[in-house]
Amino acid sequence: MLRKTLLGALGALIIATGCTPTKVVVPLKEGQWQIGVTQGRPQINEGYLPVIGAYAAKGVSAAKTNYGGIQFSSLLLGAVQLEGGQIRSWIPQQGIKPGVSWSFGGQAFMSTRDYAFRFYPETGINAYWQKGPHIVNASANTWVDPTWFLADFGRGQILAPSFSAGYRLRYKWFEAQLEYKILNPTRDIHIPQAYVPGTSGLGGRGFFYGMAINF
Amino acid sequence: MKKFLFIALAAITLSSCADVSGALFAGGDGTYDFKNTYLDPEFQVDESKIHLLDLESGTQDTIYALYVGDFAQIATDTIIVFLHGNTPSMDSYWQTAGLFANLVNKHHYGFIMYDYRGFGWSTGRSTGAESMAADYDAVLSFLQSQGLTSERMVVVANSLGSLPAGPAAAGGSRIPVQKLVMEVPQSTANVIMQNATGLSLPASMITSYKFDLGQNMEDYTGELLWMHGTEDAVAPIETAEAAMQKHQGTYYQEAVYDGAGHGLRWDIGDEEWSKVVLDFIRH
Repeated sequence: MLRKTLLGALGALIIATGCTPTKVVVPLKEGQWQIGVTQGRPQINEGYLPVIGAYAAKGVSAAKTNYGGIQFSSLLLGAVQLEGGQIRSWIPQQGIKPGVSWSFGGQAFMSTRDYAFRFYPETGINAYWQKGPHIVNASANTWVDPTWFLADFGRGQILAPSFSAGYRLRYKWFEAQLEYKILNPTRDIHIPQAYVPGTSGLGGRGFFYGMAINF
Repeated sequence: MKKFLFIALAAITLSSCADVSGALFAGGDGTYDFKNTYLDPEFQVDESKIHLLDLESGTQDTIYALYVGDFAQIATDTIIVFLHGNTPSMDSYWQTAGLFANLVNKHHYGFIMYDYRGFGWSTGRSTGAESMAADYDAVLSFLQSQGLTSERMVVVANSLGSLPAGPAAAGGSRIPVQKLVMEVPQSTANVIMQNATGLSLPASMITSYKFDLGQNMEDYTGELLWMHGTEDAVAPIETAEAAMQKHQGTYYQEAVYDGAGHGLRWDIGDEEWSKVVLDFIRH
């Protein structure tokens, strides 16, 4: 039982380091803050395993929102994982034509054991439909691995894409988030003695939940 | 910038630095019910030659080993030192013990396998390179005291067993390894991390267990037999191959089987498996 728990934690962590949930889809209002916690549940074997993070975002203008976050699950096992970036409104929603936003930022990892450091720029695009407090989105995102050549035996890849669909319920003071994500479908995600369900045998997948307060 | 530095420093301070290496070890209960009843007829052994040993490992732990053969053989005959894979105890390898005990003919070679800390009845907990090396050394210390010498020792490592076997072959064995069989080995700790994330992250992000069988094979000067299946989902063949082919020693042989998985011996059959291993031992 202990081993299952630990293996689960390992699986959850290593999937978590490969992907985090989309923080903000529709930019916040200028001056508005959002602070939230997210729980990722990547699927390992038959179960979904919890990966917990937190973030803060601020609308710096009507069209731009900055965000920063931290992954607690990585931290627990000795890797500081911080992320930051900006989301910008690109095309406003017009009736049933979705609005489009795009994001850019980066993920930084540092081992507390040997201080090994990695930085992965990321960019993404979101199509969203907002009606009242309801926001539905479809998103594509990719991490860029500028140190792909440091992977053992030359097996690194420059891009680590993900695709997701989600729903958000945004009120003035509160936001709830739900997202389904296909992780890194361009390669075989592999954990020894564990089964990682993917898409056509590739990548991983998982649910992400979030709760945030707005002020 | 100040805020970012504050968050970064706070994160480092808060980090508990738990290590997942313990999670990689599947140690569990063992019964050690080593009887002919559980062996195929062709692998039956003389039950008077079954010896369960308890050996001191490090300063605090006791590990259990199974020796099949006469103790007197250790000073005169070839001895197989088997490092088992990631199952709760060496119970799972009783059939393997029977197979080795019947290579050529009954009890031609002596055979020993052992449980790492936290596996079977062995006390303590396997945590990484240090504990694995100490357990291996406990067994080698016993064999050395019984008169085993380098030219009569064959180390056979299955899957997880490749992790302590690598550093041992690379010079970390009190009886130098001259013949090594790596059956479905892993490759490096980094590969496990990178295969799981798809990123160039080093294993030090989650563990201090930094094994590197490629480097070990580069440093190993003896003979190597590498056995693997192309469909191995536990130890991917691409990276295992890259690690094993770094071997620069006196003799290299590989046996790769199309369609075989991590349970290689079950997939290719005892006859083929025994033939390849025996040919290598006699090489």
